[in-house]
Amino acid sequence: MMHKNTILNVSGVSKKYGTETVLHDVTFSLQQREVLSVLGKSGSGKTTLLKILAGLEQEDAGSIHLKDEDYNGTDGHETLGRFMNGLAPQHRNIVYLYQEPLLFPHLTVFENIAFGLRIRKQPGAIIKEKVEVMLDEIGLVSHAFKMPQQLSGGQLQRVSFARALVINPKVLLLDEPFGALDIETRTQMQELFKKVSKKYGLTSLFITHDLKEALIMGDHIGKIEKGIFKKYGSPKEFYEDEANGVMAEAAFWKQFKA
Amino acid sequence: MEIAWVVHRKGYDMKKMLQLFFAISIVFPVFFLAVLSFGKNWTYPDLLPSTLNAANWAAIVKLDTGLFQSFLTSLCISVFVGVGSTALSFITSKFIAYSRYRSIFILIAYLPYVIAPVILAATLQYYFIVLDLAGSIGGVLLAQFFIAYPFGVIILNNFWNHKIRAIEELAATLGATKRQLWLKVLLPISKTALLLCFFQTFLISWFEYGLTSVIGLGVVKTLSINVFGFVNEANIFYAALASCLLIAPPMVLIWFNKRYIFSTDTVS
Repeated sequence: MMHKNTILNVSGVSKKYGTETVLHDVTFSLQQREVLSVLGKSGSGKTTLLKILAGLEQEDAGSIHLKDEDYNGTDGHETLGRFMNGLAPQHRNIVYLYQEPLLFPHLTVFENIAFGLRIRKQPGAIIKEKVEVMLDEIGLVSHAFKMPQQLSGGQLQRVSFARALVINPKVLLLDEPFGALDIETRTQMQELFKKVSKKYGLTSLFITHDLKEALIMGDHIGKIEKGIFKKYGSPKEFYEDEANGVMAEAAFWKQFKA
Repeated sequence: MEIAWVVHRKGYDMKKMLQLFFAISIVFPVFFLAVLSFGKNWTYPDLLPSTLNAANWAAIVKLDTGLFQSFLTSLCISVFVGVGSTALSFITSKFIAYSRYRSIFILIAYLPYVIAPVILAATLQYYFIVLDLAGSIGGVLLAQFFIAYPFGVIILNNFWNHKIRAIEELAATLGATKRQLWLKVLLPISKTALLLCFFQTFLISWFEYGLTSVIGLGVVKTLSINVFGFVNEANIFYAALASCLLIAPPMVLIWFNKRYIFSTDTVS
């Protein structure tokens, strides 16, 4: 049975491309309002995992359940939440954000943020109100009617984030969202994400290859390596796992202290 | 110092001359064509016709020349071929671009151009006759579509890249249905590519002669068929007039191209 605070339950998910196993028996759960940082190198299977959760790729085995208060389950999985396998991305309410902001180039900042609300056919007044709140949240009120081509990299990423946030997703999947930003903008974005995430009680899976970013952003830390996923109970447990090399890294820097 | 100035001056003159040569080589034939279309009584060794007046242009509306009718026929065929092949190749190119056999499909798309449209028409003519399509506008439309459609796929294939795919996926996770994805995202961001494809396929159809004459059997009188008819009759003034009509739509498209395509920022 799904724990009352569990929003996403992933069990035994596997994926193969030809003979290559990309994900091997991935099992974990996400609690409501939890930000799980997942560390992984290129080719570790992290993007495939996110795409499976978003419904953009099909898993070969395993199950995914999402808590959904509006769902009157009839598929026999009610106690675990709504069974997600095979469900199209547009019906999951799980938003997948790429490293690139991918704003719609033909729409203004305002309309980009409003996109998810417009396709849900929400009334104009509500859309206006919600988008204005988001614009204020990301500090881009004065840029509302600019085109994406007129914004900087950090501003684009803010709009992308607001566009996802405005539809109130159950889970937000972030695939190295700040990877292409310079250090200063990256730090600003991390702070913004932390602030907004806390305020709106976001549940998210944050993929990064940056150890420091993983520790800053996540309530919990996971690691994916060669398709094998491991979620740590606490940052301390992560630190003490020699395989992660964190202790060795810390020891390296400590030698300069003396 | 003086030598350097002379070398610099010569380079400058050469640049100016090349620019002038380029402009004249493009403008002169069009200008001369326009002059000829007003001409009458051109005898050797005069450089220009002895009479220039608008009488030839009045022939456009005369039924016996068939110029206006052939202009309309060409326009209808080309618009149909342009719109039809652009629409179909837009969808087809998507499936091809995301296919693992993308390079094979694109190689196949070049085949009609390798074997030349007129040879393709000669090869397929038998089937057009059997299907009672030879000598009909429908037959010419279909035959030209065989040429324009793969070209459209070649043009639009590059539109479907990694970034567009990521945008599609993102829109889906934001809740867009397939219909909304096409109407609210893909069509607006592909506007430039679609216009470009329409222009190109329109022009292929508009200037098509060999394939049209083989499948049209001389019954379907397009403007390009008329131009060659006048040339064969040695009616140089009507040929020039028909040619002016023939280059008018492409010139409008160039203007349109400049005004809309180069001034629009969309994903390509």
